[in-house]
Amino acid sequence: MSLHLSQLRKWILESPPIEWSINQLREMLIGALRQGPIPQHIAFVMDGNRRFARSHKIETVEGHNLGFEALARILEICYKSGVKVVTVYAFSIENFKRSKYEVDALMDMAKIKLSQLSQHGQLLERYGACIRVLGQRDLVKPDVLKAVDKAVEMTKNNGDCVLNICFPYTSRDEITGAIKKTVDEYSKPLSAQARPFSQTRITQKIRSKNLDASPLRADSPTPSSNSDVDDSFSSTTTLHTDSPNGGGEASIYPDPETITTDTIESHLLTAGDPPLDLLVRTSGVKRLSDFMLWQCHEDTELVFLDCLWPEFDLWNFLPVLVEWQWKQKHLEDKEPANSVKNLKTKLT
Amino acid sequence: MPVAKRETEIYRRDAKLNHNLLTPAEREKLLEPYLPEPPTRQNSKAKKGSKVRVLPAEESHSRLGIRKFLKNQLHALVYVIIHTVFSIYIRFRVAYHGVKDRIFAILYYHHRTPELIQKDVKGLDRIPTHLSVILKLEDGGKGGAGLETLVDEVAEISAWCMCVGIPTLSVYEKTGILKGYVPATHRAITRKLSSYLGPDHPAVSLRAPHVPSIESAATTTTGEIISFAKPLSVLLLSAEDGRDSIVDLTKTLADMAQRAKLSSTDISVDLVDAELAESVMGEPDLLVLFSPIVELSGYPPWQCF
Repeated sequence: MSLHLSQLRKWILESPPIEWSINQLREMLIGALRQGPIPQHIAFVMDGNRRFARSHKIETVEGHNLGFEALARILEICYKSGVKVVTVYAFSIENFKRSKYEVDALMDMAKIKLSQLSQHGQLLERYGACIRVLGQRDLVKPDVLKAVDKAVEMTKNNGDCVLNICFPYTSRDEITGAIKKTVDEYSKPLSAQARPFSQTRITQKIRSKNLDASPLRADSPTPSSNSDVDDSFSSTTTLHTDSPNGGGEASIYPDPETITTDTIESHLLTAGDPPLDLLVRTSGVKRLSDFMLWQCHEDTELVFLDCLWPEFDLWNFLPVLVEWQWKQKHLEDKEPANSVKNLKTKLT
Repeated sequence: MPVAKRETEIYRRDAKLNHNLLTPAEREKLLEPYLPEPPTRQNSKAKKGSKVRVLPAEESHSRLGIRKFLKNQLHALVYVIIHTVFSIYIRFRVAYHGVKDRIFAILYYHHRTPELIQKDVKGLDRIPTHLSVILKLEDGGKGGAGLETLVDEVAEISAWCMCVGIPTLSVYEKTGILKGYVPATHRAITRKLSSYLGPDHPAVSLRAPHVPSIESAATTTTGEIISFAKPLSVLLLSAEDGRDSIVDLTKTLADMAQRAKLSSTDISVDLVDAELAESVMGEPDLLVLFSPIVELSGYPPWQCF
């Protein structure tokens, strides 16, 4: 009986008029979302493909394929509603520990989808999305890398929105990379030729001036002026002794004290993107799994959903967005008095 | 992308054969009806061009404008409806959680007896060895009331941790006000512990990064200590232990690199991890927030792994 019912339900849902009206409803809801504030940068952890495959008794690779379809759906929603940057966690460095078969299948999938993307350059232009791949490039096989580069190159000029694909990525690796780049930047000596004035010439000039001045000053009766000359002499000698260390061998470094959070931020892989507003993780696991640690630690709202990634659709995403909008509106309305809804959780 | 069933079927069949079934052109045709309109810039340019040439085009343009206006109005209406409904829903949710928590708090009240708390935890098969909590200073630092409740909360949580047998607790509070009151907090914790566990309780050490720790000797006067309670170390954290500590580490590394004591290829995840674990803390097993929305509000990024 229930089988018949689900068959009937499926049949009705797939009939053209219903399909059309569902699509219209989706369009309307997305249009309605646009009326309020929209997060500028959303990150997704696409978790649950394998579990979905297991529970539906299909192959793992098939689960990943369905996950890709879900990603396409979500991207469409995001870009239509006006999100600027979407970051997805496609593959963690840790994932290389999975079975070779699965890793290879995932890599193949990435290659195929990306090369397929590059076949449709015109279509991509309509979305105006540019693709960027963040992560450890040297861990990827060269043939996949080629597909990646091609897709990135093709979409480089689309400026409306950005899709960041984190592919061999962990956040700790990213932060370490940023630290490394910062250190590199600061251990590069500043070029001594940057300024058109030569220090040796200046010291020479001062010295010659002092030599000129000292006999004149020697005539002056006050002894204080004499000591003045002595002072200036000593200062020239210090200048002289300093200059070979300072300017001669080009060993002036930028001051490490000028390093700030912004310096490190500018070396992260997501440099230039707006701050992360929303991070969604599916499949009910409440961990970050080394994703966007630096980016999401300030005002990002973290949302953990129970549904598996291949099932993720507008109907799961809508409440998240609406809640975010609601929160945004209330933050504007009453900045200080938001402690009212503090829910106390018991520790047990 | 593929929304309708028929197209999805075709797409999947194509995907199964590694996209060899259809040619790119066929695939584009498949997607055609579901694509958004081409970029508006071109659209408006074309329209402007036609307006110059033929005047009647203006009429169709204005009708389009009305349609667009109506559509916008409809969207605004739907937006308002959604948010009204959601507002009502969230009020109910807050009320529901409030009532539920109150009831549970009464049903499972611990009566300051470690045995009861121990019984509550018995059902769990794993207990974190490092628990981290994020607390908020309520009144923005004005007056002592907020600080007092904060200290009290820290003491309470420490007592629970000791009863449960969690050896490490870190307390994150954004402003770092607690760091100025380390001795007072330590006294409060000790007082709370003796009210839970009696005068004989294991040692507590309280420390903050870059602040010397305060230890208290275990008060083993009679040698009769409750078996499950272990020594506890409490760590106070604030926003400056987050990103700023990473910045400080970078400064140190840059300084070393400038003096040629280290090359940038030596910097690895393990090195950074070890340094941050040394100067701030290792990663916690469980992070507990006491707010309706999950927001890390400046929690050390490296550690919330």
